[in-house]
Amino acid sequence: MKSRYADENLSWIAPLVLLVIAIPFLIRGVTFSYRYYLYVLNIAGIYTILAVGLDILSGYTGLISLGHAGFFAIGAYTSAVLVDQAGIPFGLSLIITPIITGFFGLVVGFPALRVSGMYLGLTTMGFGFIARRLIIALRAWTEGSAGLEVSNPVLFGFEFASDWANYFLIFTFVVAVVVVARRVMNSKIGRAFMAIRDSERAAEAAGVNLTRYKLLAFFMSAVLAGLAGVLFAHTMRFISTDHFDILLSIYFIIMILVGGVGSIYGAVLGSVFIVLLDFLLIPAFKDWMALFVAIEVADIQSLIFGLIMFLFIIFQPMGLYGVWLKMRIYWKLFPFNPKKRFT
Amino acid sequence: MTETFGGLTQEVVSGIALGCIYALIALGFTLIYKATEVVNFAQGELMMVGAYVNFFFVSALLEVPLLNGVWAFIIALVGAVAFAVLFGAFLDLIINRPLKDEPVFSVIMATISLAIILRAVMAVIAGPMTRIPPSPFGSSVITFGGVAISTLDMFIILSAVVLVMVFYFFFNRTKWGIAMKATSEDPMAAHLVGIPVKKVYRNVWIFSMVVATIGGVLLAPRTLLDTHMGFLGLKAFPAAVLGGFGSIPGAIVGGVIMGVIETVSMGTLSFHFPWVKEINDIIVWIVLIAVLMIRPAGILGHEEVDRV
Repeated sequence: MKSRYADENLSWIAPLVLLVIAIPFLIRGVTFSYRYYLYVLNIAGIYTILAVGLDILSGYTGLISLGHAGFFAIGAYTSAVLVDQAGIPFGLSLIITPIITGFFGLVVGFPALRVSGMYLGLTTMGFGFIARRLIIALRAWTEGSAGLEVSNPVLFGFEFASDWANYFLIFTFVVAVVVVARRVMNSKIGRAFMAIRDSERAAEAAGVNLTRYKLLAFFMSAVLAGLAGVLFAHTMRFISTDHFDILLSIYFIIMILVGGVGSIYGAVLGSVFIVLLDFLLIPAFKDWMALFVAIEVADIQSLIFGLIMFLFIIFQPMGLYGVWLKMRIYWKLFPFNPKKRFT
Repeated sequence: MTETFGGLTQEVVSGIALGCIYALIALGFTLIYKATEVVNFAQGELMMVGAYVNFFFVSALLEVPLLNGVWAFIIALVGAVAFAVLFGAFLDLIINRPLKDEPVFSVIMATISLAIILRAVMAVIAGPMTRIPPSPFGSSVITFGGVAISTLDMFIILSAVVLVMVFYFFFNRTKWGIAMKATSEDPMAAHLVGIPVKKVYRNVWIFSMVVATIGGVLLAPRTLLDTHMGFLGLKAFPAAVLGGFGSIPGAIVGGVIMGVIETVSMGTLSFHFPWVKEINDIIVWIVLIAVLMIRPAGILGHEEVDRV
């Protein structure tokens, strides 16, 4: 009898782990300012976890969320308050906080059972505003809109104090999340999600429990956002409500759209691409632009992101992952390429 | 202003004026939704663009010595509306046509990206500082039995009511309006019975941009003119959902109720219950979620039945 994993291809996990371990050493070998690049990669890793969660919700299940910054903020602030003010160890917070955020996901998921499409977008957008306002209102713990300083992560007596140490902490979770998410999306759960996305009625007729799976999608997505929030709070060491606004939610959606909606690798590619663009390319571009016009960095940033999102939606709806798939097919079939397949 | 009077009536009156602004924005995306079923998240930014164009015209024309005040404002308004017509046709080309038959997720994100692009482009053109646009009415105030209302607010209420009535009449009585409704039901069938679908799409984007421009021109002197003005457009969504999304009278009903709720909670309720102060700027979203829980079709909307 075939074992459960016999026809699964798991050989990609080892190269992925090796690549993730090798990258910081490569960067340190190449450049002296490696700390900044690691900092950028850490942010990319945190956003990757969140983008994978958002992709499970929006890409696989087809439920729009314009308020994911709300879950991210709840995760970050909950962990900051639990660790610094309630004295819970970081390792425990890493388990408790995502579950708490997941329950917020269930609460937001209940409206999703009744409304869909644009109405769901508005509901989640409203949730984003409400979550942010709630954090400001609880100023006894969160110091309102002034921002909150957070302690370093301490795990098994080891304090992660530098970007170098944080890299390994964050990317352990990134690899785990990517592997688990890919496995889950290939399972019964993932297929139920995709059935709901393609046609709710057909899914229901085929025996998918809509209530359970929609709530599960919200729960999983919020758990990952909460995990990203914990890591963000403790590795950035300062959080402020200004950061978690509606534009951040849109930024996350740009990531999954650019990467390719409905694929885990797409979410990874998209978030790494957008963060690298944001932190490395735009600062260089800004100096060059400043020679010609007086312009603010935030404006260039939003202009470029808006244009990228717009062009991807219209010309390449499959995103970067779709480009990669097309390239792979092109090379596999090399001398026999019908032209019209690649339009 | 009569802050010392400070009664509930005063708050309700200024709430109605604020609500009429929401109604103007909501009217803009209701028009597009009725004909194309595209939800335009960039409506607030279209309003911002219209307000800036009008501002540039006004400041250029006020320099001309021959024109006295009022004529400069009228010519500027005509110029801004002319720009709106061109810009609306352009938006139809770049947004509506490529996104026909795309899933709703892509359409929402495309209009959001349009909003981001417009805001950034306007910030590049107009610079980061906040402008104080001149108003043709100055700061004149009309008083009815102790309730003061500025002339500008009167004009806002008046134009919102007139525009809603005009478009209501247009959609229910005229040939073009019924053609638009037919197009929204089924573009292919509309095309087969001889309705020029492309023209319908272009016209509806033009109407929407013109309504947005009028809203922007009236709103700019009330608040100040900067590139973040478009965020107000987001608040018009709860107003439209409350009234019933896709219903033209619903736009003004929902807008006015939402405007009154907002100003009353900011004034009297915050004064008597301190905790209300915390939720002032999110009260519209709380109302939205409550409406979606109780009656998703809104006050004047119809329950949609989809076919399998």
